[in-house]
Amino acid sequence: MIYETIAIRFTLNGEQHKEEILAGMSVLEMLRDILKLRGTKEGCGIGECGACTIQVDGKAVNACLMPAAQLDRREVWTIEGVGSSSHLHPVQESFLSNHAVQCGFCTPGLIMSTKALIEENSTPDHKEVVHAVSGNLCRCTGYQQILSAVENAVETCNTHNKRNK
Amino acid sequence: MDLSYYRPDSLEAALDFLHEYGNHTCILAGGTDVMLDLRSGEVKKKYLMDITRIEDLKDIAMTDKKLSIGTLVTISELYGSDLIAAHAPALQQCSLTFASKQVRNAATIGGNVAHCSPCGDTIPPLLIHEARVVLASKRGSREIPVEEIAAGPYASAFAPDEMIVRFLLKPAGDMDLSTFKKIGRRKALSISRISMAAMVKKDRDSRIDFVRFSLGACTPTPRRFEEIEALMEGEKATEQLLWETGRILTDQMFKITGRRSSAIYKEPAIQGLFFRLFSPLV
Repeated sequence: MIYETIAIRFTLNGEQHKEEILAGMSVLEMLRDILKLRGTKEGCGIGECGACTIQVDGKAVNACLMPAAQLDRREVWTIEGVGSSSHLHPVQESFLSNHAVQCGFCTPGLIMSTKALIEENSTPDHKEVVHAVSGNLCRCTGYQQILSAVENAVETCNTHNKRNK
Repeated sequence: MDLSYYRPDSLEAALDFLHEYGNHTCILAGGTDVMLDLRSGEVKKKYLMDITRIEDLKDIAMTDKKLSIGTLVTISELYGSDLIAAHAPALQQCSLTFASKQVRNAATIGGNVAHCSPCGDTIPPLLIHEARVVLASKRGSREIPVEEIAAGPYASAFAPDEMIVRFLLKPAGDMDLSTFKKIGRRKALSISRISMAAMVKKDRDSRIDFVRFSLGACTPTPRRFEEIEALMEGEKATEQLLWETGRILTDQMFKITGRRSSAIYKEPAIQGLFFRLFSPLV
């Protein structure tokens, strides 16, 4: 069957979700304009800045470059599903304590890239850290604080995991 | 015009659809190029056919002494594959510096080749492996060399009812050098301005016994330079040989493209990158 509108079912931040979307619509448009989840930012809209980074089946992707139709039967995490204002995710804590946030526009994307990195590789070396976040542009911090925050988050998450074992 | 979406779950269904609507269909894989073209209004097709759920097109395997790579293998999967690391190291290297992590997680090797961009990063490594592209249609399947996929920049040479299903590479074997290098504007996004791939095997006297060299982003379609390979074969890899051959390479490239305003930058940049590419042999 061929559809101009497509019904998709997917898991969004841990909850089952159904949506009707247009064929050419991007995940970013769906998140921001239909679902009103505006933590995922649109910076460039062409896959260069990483402000729209989300996780699909655990992997970091640019929401602006992915058709929403491809989310069918996938697991999606956006910044709204990471931590809460009373209980921040360790990656968020680490960004705060390392002063890795200035204007904050790139932060949701960076948090998602960092979370994806930690889930994929619990012991990344410095080079792997750089590779994981080099698709996220920040025009404020100069990156040093961000890299410290990511490396610090890796350590915290590992200690957490060890404690829980 | 309203766009319609179709998602086949088998190759057969995809080929049936292309047979019927190929002229009006844009094939969608990772979406990293197609979504940009949609946004800029360059996709004037009626149908978007999403092939990402066709499981048969996602494997990497050694079959009949050829390294077979399914069209839907993502750039991240290329980087993570032990088979690619062992048999096509230059392709693995290009997968690390390809765009950004987010793009590598979605973009596919088939999409990168089918988009026919002069600066498609996977193409120079495919060229040095003399890769053949398996095209399928309802009429049957056929193989063509990867250099024949593009008719020109962003123009594919295969029929509207055909699609790329896999790539067949000659494995590298035991090489002294197998490498990919590029110059982009910024490391992560870095759409290549110049890219190069090479493989070299030296003989007992440390003369170059076997060499494959390809250049991307500089000519309308990336290509192997057999004339350059011939100049290097049988020679010792001295600094002088590398600078001299690099100079001939730029001459040959300008014969194809003409000397444009960028030549003043490209000439020394290509020669420098060519030197760096082969310098581990010196």
